[in-house]
Amino acid sequence: MNDEHIRARFETLMLPLMNDAYNLARWLMRNSQDAEDMVQESYFRAFKFFGSFREGTNARAWLLRIVRNTCYTALAGDERKGREVPLEEELNEIQDASPLPPVILSRKATIEAVRAAIAELDTDFREAIVLRELEGLSYKEISEVTDVPIGTVMSRLSRGRDQLALLLSDRKKNDQL
Amino acid sequence: MNCQECRDYIDPYFDSELDTGDAIRVGQHLRDCLVCRERLQSREALKSLLGDPQLKFEIPETLREKLVSRFRPPAASLKERFERKYIARRIFVPLALAAGITLLFGLVFLNKNGRFELLNAPSLVDEVVAGHVRSMLATHLLDVPSTDQHTVKPWFDGKLKFAPPVRDLADHGFRLIGGRLDYLNGQEVAAVVYQKNKHIINLFLWPAQSNGNGSPRSFSRNGYNVIHWNRDGFDWWAVSDVSATDLAAFEGLQRQ
Repeated sequence: MNDEHIRARFETLMLPLMNDAYNLARWLMRNSQDAEDMVQESYFRAFKFFGSFREGTNARAWLLRIVRNTCYTALAGDERKGREVPLEEELNEIQDASPLPPVILSRKATIEAVRAAIAELDTDFREAIVLRELEGLSYKEISEVTDVPIGTVMSRLSRGRDQLALLLSDRKKNDQL
Repeated sequence: MNCQECRDYIDPYFDSELDTGDAIRVGQHLRDCLVCRERLQSREALKSLLGDPQLKFEIPETLREKLVSRFRPPAASLKERFERKYIARRIFVPLALAAGITLLFGLVFLNKNGRFELLNAPSLVDEVVAGHVRSMLATHLLDVPSTDQHTVKPWFDGKLKFAPPVRDLADHGFRLIGGRLDYLNGQEVAAVVYQKNKHIINLFLWPAQSNGNGSPRSFSRNGYNVIHWNRDGFDWWAVSDVSATDLAAFEGLQRQ
């Protein structure tokens, strides 16, 4: 396969997954600037390793695995350096086009509350929840991306959902939902 | 099955990840056990909160553009490369053209049914896949976002010379999410967009040149599945990254 073919195949298979890559990176890095850097780096790495991509491989799982590894490598480096990871106000992330009708306002408030609850989850649970609920991956795909057996995926999702339900019911009690 | 086992299985049951035997056993336990049923209900409540597509973070436009321009060769350079490649063969181009025209005339003359499906099918598959990919890359997948077939169908009226069939298949797991105009096979076509779980299905439609035998043909390109059939005077092309099985089911539902 020549260079042009590889490039065309990369474009067809990998570029449509930009949003998924960004979403995962954003949830793992917990701020948009780092997420952007990670997505760029992930795409460069994906392009470099694309020669090893075989027809029939699940493209989404393949790319998200690279994104995840790139993020964790960076996070581990930050930890060693003791760098504070900037956390953004989730509020700024949703476009504010006021005045909004009350129905949309309440939807916006719900989204903020749910996002805040997901952000509070332990990393293992958070990534399982994001991959399942926001990315719609199967257990097998999650197991490929996160490099753990399907049984572990199952228990992480289960415990993650328990944690999330608890966090959200606390918010409900405080009238935030 | 006891409650502890049911607890372990409730998430894969909820996510349709259990094999049939276990799913039946969980179902039986749920029928008899209020506590476990409540657990399932709390999962459903959570799912409805997590189902909002806006929960996902959207990639910033600047980054999207940066990646597209980095990994997609700009149109100009493609053109240059094309020209470089063919400039040496300048003499052969008129010859090839002449041969092509002769061949075309020959085919028109010989082709009694006026059918060219076999000739254009392979490149059209690529074009349809490219159309799908383009719709996923562009910022607007939909010109008319609506889950209501009675909104989507009239929207096409007046924009196209034909009225494409639009039906909602949400009951079968294929949710109608809207429609879009697209350009394929040298004409304006209707793109009716469906969603299966998180996967997008583009259904491209245009008036058929001829009546085919109606039996669907499946293709696979770069991880995308394509299925084509000809029915009710339309050429139908469904393309998606859902499994071939799901896409075949989709085709079956469209036929009903």
